[in-house]
Amino acid sequence: MSSRPATLTAPQPWFTEKVLMGQPWAEYRRGLFTPFNAVAAFVLAIGIPIIVYRFAAGLGATTNLSQTNPWGIWIGFDMLCGVALAAGGYTLATTVYIFGLDDYHPVVRPAVLTGFLGYVFAVLGLMCDLGRPWNLPIPMVYSFGTTSVMFEVGWCVMLYTIVLALEFSPALFQWLGWQTLRTYLLRATIGLTVAAVMLSTLHQSSLGALFLMAPTKLHPLWYSPFIPIFFFVSSIVAGLSMVIVESSLSHRAFQSRVDHHVDMDKLVLGLARAASVILFAYVFLRLQGLADSGRTDLLATPLGLWFIAEIVLFAAVPCLLFAHGARTRNATLVRWTAGWSVLGIVVYRLNVSVVAYNWEAAERYIPSWMEVWTSLTLVTTGILVFRWIVNRMPVLRDESGH
Amino acid sequence: MIPHDILTLYGAKGLEYVIAIAFLVLFVPFWRYAMGTRPAPEPAIVRAAQAAPAHSDLVEWFRVARDVFYHPGHAWARAAEAAGAVLVGADDFAQKLVGPLRTIELPAPGTAVRQGEPAWRLHAGDKTLDMLSPVDGVVTAVNREVLDNPGLLRDDPYGAGWLLQVQSPRFAAQRKGLLSGRMAHRWIEDATNALRLRMSPDLGLAMQDGGVPVDGIAQALAPEDWDRVAREFLLS
Repeated sequence: MSSRPATLTAPQPWFTEKVLMGQPWAEYRRGLFTPFNAVAAFVLAIGIPIIVYRFAAGLGATTNLSQTNPWGIWIGFDMLCGVALAAGGYTLATTVYIFGLDDYHPVVRPAVLTGFLGYVFAVLGLMCDLGRPWNLPIPMVYSFGTTSVMFEVGWCVMLYTIVLALEFSPALFQWLGWQTLRTYLLRATIGLTVAAVMLSTLHQSSLGALFLMAPTKLHPLWYSPFIPIFFFVSSIVAGLSMVIVESSLSHRAFQSRVDHHVDMDKLVLGLARAASVILFAYVFLRLQGLADSGRTDLLATPLGLWFIAEIVLFAAVPCLLFAHGARTRNATLVRWTAGWSVLGIVVYRLNVSVVAYNWEAAERYIPSWMEVWTSLTLVTTGILVFRWIVNRMPVLRDESGH
Repeated sequence: MIPHDILTLYGAKGLEYVIAIAFLVLFVPFWRYAMGTRPAPEPAIVRAAQAAPAHSDLVEWFRVARDVFYHPGHAWARAAEAAGAVLVGADDFAQKLVGPLRTIELPAPGTAVRQGEPAWRLHAGDKTLDMLSPVDGVVTAVNREVLDNPGLLRDDPYGAGWLLQVQSPRFAAQRKGLLSGRMAHRWIEDATNALRLRMSPDLGLAMQDGGVPVDGIAQALAPEDWDRVAREFLLS
């Protein structure tokens, strides 16, 4: 409003302007007392000591992992789900920068940030899971072990995390006011996007390929030579669904930071169309895996019924709901479906890595409460970091006109 | 895993072929379903299907439609259903600038209009204002509803408040010189800033709550010769 008095203010110190968002310390501190922050503080107050205890006392003291069940939810949830749900970064960057669908530009940056944080926290989860995490750099710089699928996963995840950091860095440099560096990195956008697609295609599928090494441990209904393809295709669905969920939540939570010129409903409906078509193909691919297993007789068992429930409830139903929501322009239905679809991908990854893994073993793995709390702590920290960045850097709104 | 006997293998392969064929057969109707949109309900007024209320953004104080092309004189154009037909109207900025209209004077069907030249006339109070056509062509229809009820232009400038239908064979070429999308947003922002510069500090009292100006900004800016101010913005 033009009648608002224009007042000249003295330049604020860097810390106040950039970190405290221009507020005096007392005011900033008062703003921290919110119900969400209280819950987050409670989670972290218990979770951080657990993580410290895990590194001090070891895996045996904090987890229910064993020689029979060496992979628990830190791999099944933090790593496999975290990486899948972070796939929105490469999916959207490809959509916009390679396929030229510029309409989706407003959701690329939040998708890349979600991807970057997803990978960082997946790696942190992996650090918790590794018996000797200090050995992690060894396959990166020495003793590569090129015959191992782990080598491929490790290198791809490391390289892609770097690529995501570089893809997101223009927003960081814009925030810091480092225009020259920002300009250089913007020029590298296409190259980084191509690298992102290649690396993601490789490691999203090779996370599935890890289970090719355990044909006797994985339930026949879930084991398939096509499992790398299942992981790759489902990662695209996970990425698109996550972008819908994340953008919808962001636009509610960060009203003052969003670009109100953007028709989010239209973008969400477009993403839903893409997700429905990919889910359609994914359902038939899973059916091919079932046919190829030659064990349709197992469908009548309790795990078989769970397999059917997974395919129908968590793949076919969201596929149809996405298509129906897009056709009837029902963005609300699409948003709820995206949440359901995200849950579906988590269910699939946990089925492969926990539920259907070692299915015949006498000793079944149930995660300890400390494993669950550690995962909760990592997710909570991820949300807090996402919020911290979005509140300060140009993520939801491009303030440069780029 | 498939047991290594030939009969089981053929059974599994047969099932795989069935699944592949089912996919191909079902994919076409699914694609058509997912990519299609449910048809919009029949419009209430004549030709309103072409002028169905457009999705619009709020830029500063003004509604900016996403599916129209703007002429700098604050007229808009949108391709209609018939080949070469274009719907034409005045934008939200123009109607808010001018304020409540007494009457609208539209050219008769058959009249030729030229881009950038006066095409219709707005009457507000005792003053008149010409507006420029955004396209070349021949008028084929006028919106009789808006003639009877000029309030339609205020309520729905990009939908029911359309003014003319013009047969414009050169629209595809001419629209390249018009504004749309982000360019249109910037242009409206600039026009709003130009308005702000003209406002006196106490003009805020004349505005509604929330900072949206009342109808007739030009009259609020310059009560005596507001038509001159409006012409500056409408380029007429």
